[in-house]
Amino acid sequence: MRVCVQILRQFCFNSATKRIVEIPDLQWEKSQLNRNVACRFFFIWFPDLTELKLPVSDPNPSLCVCVLLTLQWDTDPSVLQLQSDSELGRKMQRLGATKITQVDFLPREVVLYCKETQTPITGTEEEDDEEIIDLEPALESDQQEEVDNKETREGYPGRELTEEEKQQILKSEEFLSFFDCSIRVMERALAEQSDIFFDYSGRDLEDKDGELQGGSSLSLSRLFYDEHWSKHRVITCLDWSPQYPELLVASYNNNEDAPHEPDGVALVWNMKFKKNTPEYVFHCQSPVVAVGFARFHPNLVVGGTYSGQIVLWDNRSHRRTPVQRTPLSAAAHTHPVYCVNVVGTQNANNLITVSTDGRMCSWTQPISTPWDFMELVYNKSKPVAVTGMAFPTGDVNNYVVGSEEGTVYTASRHGSKAGICEMFEGHQGPVTGLSCHNAVGPVDFSHLFVTSSFDWTVKLWSTKHNKPLYSFEDNADYIYDVMWSPVHPALFAAVDGMGRLDLWNLNSDTEVPTASVTVEGASALNRVRWASGGKEVAVGDSEGRLWIYDAGELAVPHSEDWARFARTLMEIKANRGDAEEEGLVELTP
Amino acid sequence: MAEVEETLKRIQTHEGVIGTIVVNAEGIPIRTTLDNSTTVQYAGLLHQLTMKARSTVRDIDPQNDLTFLRIRSKKHEIMVAPDKEYMLIVIQNPSE
Repeated sequence: MRVCVQILRQFCFNSATKRIVEIPDLQWEKSQLNRNVACRFFFIWFPDLTELKLPVSDPNPSLCVCVLLTLQWDTDPSVLQLQSDSELGRKMQRLGATKITQVDFLPREVVLYCKETQTPITGTEEEDDEEIIDLEPALESDQQEEVDNKETREGYPGRELTEEEKQQILKSEEFLSFFDCSIRVMERALAEQSDIFFDYSGRDLEDKDGELQGGSSLSLSRLFYDEHWSKHRVITCLDWSPQYPELLVASYNNNEDAPHEPDGVALVWNMKFKKNTPEYVFHCQSPVVAVGFARFHPNLVVGGTYSGQIVLWDNRSHRRTPVQRTPLSAAAHTHPVYCVNVVGTQNANNLITVSTDGRMCSWTQPISTPWDFMELVYNKSKPVAVTGMAFPTGDVNNYVVGSEEGTVYTASRHGSKAGICEMFEGHQGPVTGLSCHNAVGPVDFSHLFVTSSFDWTVKLWSTKHNKPLYSFEDNADYIYDVMWSPVHPALFAAVDGMGRLDLWNLNSDTEVPTASVTVEGASALNRVRWASGGKEVAVGDSEGRLWIYDAGELAVPHSEDWARFARTLMEIKANRGDAEEEGLVELTP
Repeated sequence: MAEVEETLKRIQTHEGVIGTIVVNAEGIPIRTTLDNSTTVQYAGLLHQLTMKARSTVRDIDPQNDLTFLRIRSKKHEIMVAPDKEYMLIVIQNPSE
């Protein structure tokens, strides 16, 4: 910025007389002034910012000259008027009209806020505020380019936030929690496509997509698949929520194509709304091989991992990583945990976990070290490599486990015979799935359980006999899972490696499944789980897809089904008794 | 952070969605998938409308509060999920 000075009056100080005398016609040379300006310049500002006094260099100290000048800021150097004399500036300045350029300072910023008040404001007040706000954006946006003010961030709609501020907001905690909730609501709203304006008079009725054809056969209801989290992962376990029947959780193995993604994923899906994205996404560092909703803690999801760690996720926190996990120590599990189960009652419940080295641990909340553990060994020699565990309905002490050798054992948690009790041999391959009868009705079948195995068969057992009651041999591939229906006494579902889902109704036929369907893509089906109402069955496959099938009429029990099943059982036992000569060993339960 | 972007992108690719805007408490858009002038217009107008709707709800019953706002017009459907601090606006063209 250059200084343009205009001389008003000139003075000089006569040191002899010690007076300041006014000198007319003093001339200044520009160069002199510049030099002087650099070295011996001092300003005395008068209140109206226009006059200053400056002494000039004086080889003769007895004489100094003061000048009264006006100072005007000017960007144009050619306007520089002043000329100073090398000696003392005796030449007079010729006063004449000069070119004055006026430059204004910008008007002061008027700060207006349009914040909401806490108390509810009446309608008229709102109107006034809105009018003011409407006027302001028009003015402000004009001046926006000229004013560079990162600090002032007033509340005008139309005002921009800088990129950094936006990034900061997007990272903040309140934003993330707001986003989490509202995005959920928004996706559900987006997915609902019902057209309330539909006019029946104008055109033909179209069939709506997705209407369930509730019939007597198995039909596909939903497919849950997420591009990001399900792709290339095998579904390792499924569980339906005991509290909200529309929620189910699926755990996934690791994705070999994406080594940087977390190895273990658990997704909670929602059947109720049409949106196709998971309700909650949880992940952890190790592949999750078992998952379940914690029965008496509605917000918690328990996972058993390949590394032996037990992890706990909480859907109240916004974190996707576990809120609790067990330490990797010899006191806990060191082998993959394939079974997690919450047993007990509301007030006295424990988390039971079993790993493939035969160790069974009981945990309480918060999980840090197990309060009880036990090694499952048979005949005090070899530990049982447990692949599946099931508790009969209503029993919290005795349970059944399946092992990798193909043998099934019953065991108890407490009591004099704590540990493995009985051995059931029959399968020729590892036992993959195990399910205890859990339909409650007039006749008690809780001693029955079914097992599935790599030997292409599903076997029906009773805890009273150590040989299978019946073997179902309709499949031509490894059978990966089996589960009794929770409502129908004679119905169970089985899935195999060829993508087949079979429903067996033992009251109709024991030789072939009553209903069978193959999933599209013919990938191996890894897990099957009935919903708690017994109407839907969820199947997880090796490609990460979760299929929900509607069982329709098949799954509805009739009152005579129990009696019929009792008769069927007797027939089965009778047939068995004829076929096998070595006889059954009756076991005391 | 990347999850936010990913989720917004996923909503944007949903069938019929024209645009998504995230607005803060003062009506300033923070994230948008539309062009600037449209965003500013939508953000300003919908912010005022949401405030008005909220005050209406609270006038009728001070214990009540606005949770969701859905405007159906001939061409579009505008859905607003308001909050204390922020607001999520999605404009959709519902399929017939």
